[in-house]
Amino acid sequence: MSTMGERDPAGLGRGWLTRWLPVLWQAPPTPPVVEPFPVTEGMSPRQFLLRVILSARRLTIPAAVLGIGWQVGEALVPVVMGIAIDRALATGDASQLALWLVVLAGTFLIGSLSFRFAAQLTEQAAELVQHRLRVTLSRSVLHADGAGARQPDGGVVSMMTNDVARTAAVGLTVYPVAEFSGIVFIAISLLVIYWPLGVAVLAGAPLTVWLMGRLSAKLARDSRVYQTLLAETVGRATDLVAGYRVIKGIRAEDEAASRYREASQQTLRGAYRNVGLLGRFLVGSTTVSGIFVAGVAALAGWFAVTGALSVGGLIAAVGLAQALLPPMRMLAMNAVPAWASANASAGRVLDEIRAAPPVTLTVVAAPSGVPAVELSLDTRAPLRIDPGELVAVVADERTSSDLAHALLHPETPSEIGVRIDGAAGAYRSAVVVSPHHATLFSGTIADNVDGPLREAALGAAECEDFVMMAGGLQGQVGEMGNRLSGGQRQRLALARALAADAPVLVLHDPTTAVDSVTEAAIASRLRALRAERSTILIASSPALLSACDRVIDLRSES
Amino acid sequence: MSALPVASGRQSAREVWRLSRGHRWKLAAVGCLGLVSAAAGLVPPAAIGRFVDRVQDGSADGTTVAWVLAVMIAAALLGAIGAAITVVLAARTYHAMLAELREQLVARGMHLPQGVVEAAGTGDLVSRSSDDVAEIADAGPDIIPTFTTVLFTIIVTFAGMGALDLWYAVALVVLLPVYALTVRWYMATGPRIYRAERAAMSDRAQQLLESQRGHATIVGLGMTDARHASVLEASWSVVGHSLRARTVINMFFGRLNFAEFLGMAGILVAGFWLIGNGRSTVGAATAAMLLFLRLFGPITQLLLVVDLLQSVLASLARIIGVTTMPLPAAPGESGRGGAVRLEDVSFSYDGQRPALDGVDLTIDAGQRVAVVGASGAGKTTLAAIIAGVYAPQAGAVSRPPHTAVVTQEVHVFAASLRDNLTLGAPSADDEQLHAALDATGASGLLTLLPDGLDTELGTSGRDLTAAQAQQVALARVILADPDLAILDEATAEAGSTHAGLLDRAADAALSGRTGLVIAHRLSQAATCDLVVVMDHGRITETGTHDELLAAGGTYARL
Repeated sequence: MSTMGERDPAGLGRGWLTRWLPVLWQAPPTPPVVEPFPVTEGMSPRQFLLRVILSARRLTIPAAVLGIGWQVGEALVPVVMGIAIDRALATGDASQLALWLVVLAGTFLIGSLSFRFAAQLTEQAAELVQHRLRVTLSRSVLHADGAGARQPDGGVVSMMTNDVARTAAVGLTVYPVAEFSGIVFIAISLLVIYWPLGVAVLAGAPLTVWLMGRLSAKLARDSRVYQTLLAETVGRATDLVAGYRVIKGIRAEDEAASRYREASQQTLRGAYRNVGLLGRFLVGSTTVSGIFVAGVAALAGWFAVTGALSVGGLIAAVGLAQALLPPMRMLAMNAVPAWASANASAGRVLDEIRAAPPVTLTVVAAPSGVPAVELSLDTRAPLRIDPGELVAVVADERTSSDLAHALLHPETPSEIGVRIDGAAGAYRSAVVVSPHHATLFSGTIADNVDGPLREAALGAAECEDFVMMAGGLQGQVGEMGNRLSGGQRQRLALARALAADAPVLVLHDPTTAVDSVTEAAIASRLRALRAERSTILIASSPALLSACDRVIDLRSES
Repeated sequence: MSALPVASGRQSAREVWRLSRGHRWKLAAVGCLGLVSAAAGLVPPAAIGRFVDRVQDGSADGTTVAWVLAVMIAAALLGAIGAAITVVLAARTYHAMLAELREQLVARGMHLPQGVVEAAGTGDLVSRSSDDVAEIADAGPDIIPTFTTVLFTIIVTFAGMGALDLWYAVALVVLLPVYALTVRWYMATGPRIYRAERAAMSDRAQQLLESQRGHATIVGLGMTDARHASVLEASWSVVGHSLRARTVINMFFGRLNFAEFLGMAGILVAGFWLIGNGRSTVGAATAAMLLFLRLFGPITQLLLVVDLLQSVLASLARIIGVTTMPLPAAPGESGRGGAVRLEDVSFSYDGQRPALDGVDLTIDAGQRVAVVGASGAGKTTLAAIIAGVYAPQAGAVSRPPHTAVVTQEVHVFAASLRDNLTLGAPSADDEQLHAALDATGASGLLTLLPDGLDTELGTSGRDLTAAQAQQVALARVILADPDLAILDEATAEAGSTHAGLLDRAADAALSGRTGLVIAHRLSQAATCDLVVVMDHGRITETGTHDELLAAGGTYARL
């Protein structure tokens, strides 16, 4: 492989002839620093979409110019061929043949290169805009932190892939412009050859594009409906197989298969409907465009019969009429549906950004030392956790999760007030909260458990056995830690929380999936690791409670 | 890990042929109509070519023009309708066969022995029933028209050129090596780069999903900036890969443009020579030019799907690999009533270290047995052997024919609560469902859920808490009403505050049948008729809770 790399440095499989050429317009290795898209109060989805697709003009304007070159080049091919047939083939003049072969080569070269660079620039613009949209959503929705921050719903993942890709429709500022110019160029050429032909094309082309566009927009809408159905079927299969052990456990194989069959058959009916629409679209669009080309050709034929048009003019006119088809079809089939779906997606993205919490928390450095924490619940006197204490709070499930939530988002108004000494922004750096269902992130054990006390924390959370089996600190934990068992995930999450060595640490039910023996061992090591620092345990396990300085039982008091 | 099998090309072909039963007349019609509509596409260029000759010799008049127009419109209509019917028929067949195949896949996957699927990892089956099915479905719109209309167009047009004059066809045959080299380069370069792009995309999706799911963890541990950075890094990595992929496509188009130029130049040179020799006419050269011009699109389309076709075939082989796996004969479940009997049973996952080593165990009908021991002692393996997931490598097992297993992994299906419950008992009525929920202490769930039994749960609806999900799992057991129920750490994941609640639910699920409890909390063991202590794959102690406490062995120390 290494020798291959030397012979083919760009990895594009290029031969000796072109290997030395530079590969233009690739992405730099590090992402550029981009500002989120600004969103104003009264902005409509269409305004937002226009702002997005016009935001990379530095790339899209040159791309559109090149795109025009590409379309003109394509349209010129039949014209050049027509002239060549007329001047060289009909006359038998070899020097004319040589001349027009060179012209033909030049036409192809210009068209081909223009397309290549236009497409590359457009892709680059689209990718940059997509990235910038993701930056916007990642900051304000996915990683929101501040008053009103909540867990984003699962739809944000598909929004940040599909809707973002559809909204970044910068191609709409390039390809339709090029295709439209191509049509205009052909019309002008026909005007020059014989003006009534040009007029006929200028009148007929918009009508044809409009008719085809209507047909294709309907098809595109239905295709999206079908895509959703298909995604549901696929999702159902994933869901059933994910619950494989449950199904096997209660011998529900037949029932599961029959439920899947039901969903699959429903999708099949959707596919049939979609195919039916496709058939109608094909009949409609092919007939419309076929009649249009036939009409232009017949008109040119009539003028040739009356002597208003030379044979060369006739060939060129017919060739041009045929060359009209691709740009008309692309305008109708790509631009019209893309504009519709880009508008819909832009609306969804805009709503999501608007619904995001307006304030983003600025984290400032923690105050030196360990702050005291004050919790105020209903009318009772505030609970105070002094620096260095290891305190357990026992409560029913609702209160426990409310308390954990309040400690996680102290700035969100709730029944439970949380206060620490020091500046408002210092809270995040002073207080670490490890939720009950803590998530591990794909990567190595070292990526997940990071901090000054990593080794000690892994030991205290009894992780050594499986860390060794997973291949040490560099062992992969898998997607959301799925290479580990439930108990192992919980222990590693605990180690992660402990390793941060936070001045105040909140642990919510950290050992529920851990067996009693291990839990007792963990409890016994907690104090030493958290010496001099405050720890709040929201838990009820006797092993953990017995390790604490103080147990606040909210159940007995109510 | 031994992956599920992948079908050979021959096996795939045989299965596809078998699946096409009932569709074969449609496929024959596709072939005939495809040829007819492609042939209709030849008429307009031929008519124009003939007309050019008539104009040149002065024999054309208004009637000729009217004829040309009529013939072209008729050909357009015939071509449009023929192509539409061809595509619709082919697409319906494709979707129907795919539906059949995916249903077979899920049904077979569900019925395969659990040990086989577990050994491959359930992820293997998940990816075949989702990714591979989606791959084939998504490729349909590109593949179907290509292999019906486009391919026929190319063949027929080529034949038409030959009919004009064999030398025009020869001028194009010269292009075949150019196309062959282009495809070879593309196949060697493209798929590798697209795979890398797809991998980057799935990594990006994974990062997004983890950030969405792990929102509480991210906020609690102050990881927002770090996670934002890793999402952006993943997003940017896709940008780089997508730009490279675009470059490959552009290079591919560039090479096709080169071939198109060679073809056009070839037609000019051949025409020059043929007309000079009096063998061909200007009209024939025009027709040849127009015919080849019409082929630009179809050839590109055909070559572009070559790599898509390859990945479809790969997905097909992975699906058929599963659907053709043999199902073993149902194992002879020799036990009578509810009794379980293990005689000298040994089992090893890797053939070296024994997971179970000479285990003898008898459970009388109606008896409730707890298995305790440290992790790795063989408790779960023992449960799996008794449940019939694995066959022992030595010894004999007899168990009741109707068993149910609830594992630590509870899965809530993306369906209504009713559908979740009736999975193991499709005919259960609402009264039975209410009774089962009541027994597991989950009747309160019905008042919490907005639509009662019809509330959608799982990924498509509400998330249940771990404790609620366990109650649902235990209610499923009651509804399935097995002779033997095995609960494997079934109450482990819930918060400690729920231990008591879930112990009672487990008690209800086990009442009236033989029960095997892989005990996680010792409180569970205390209520069982018999306690079995395991260590290193062996049973070390057996007796009632009180007997074992009195004996002062391992159990007493726990």
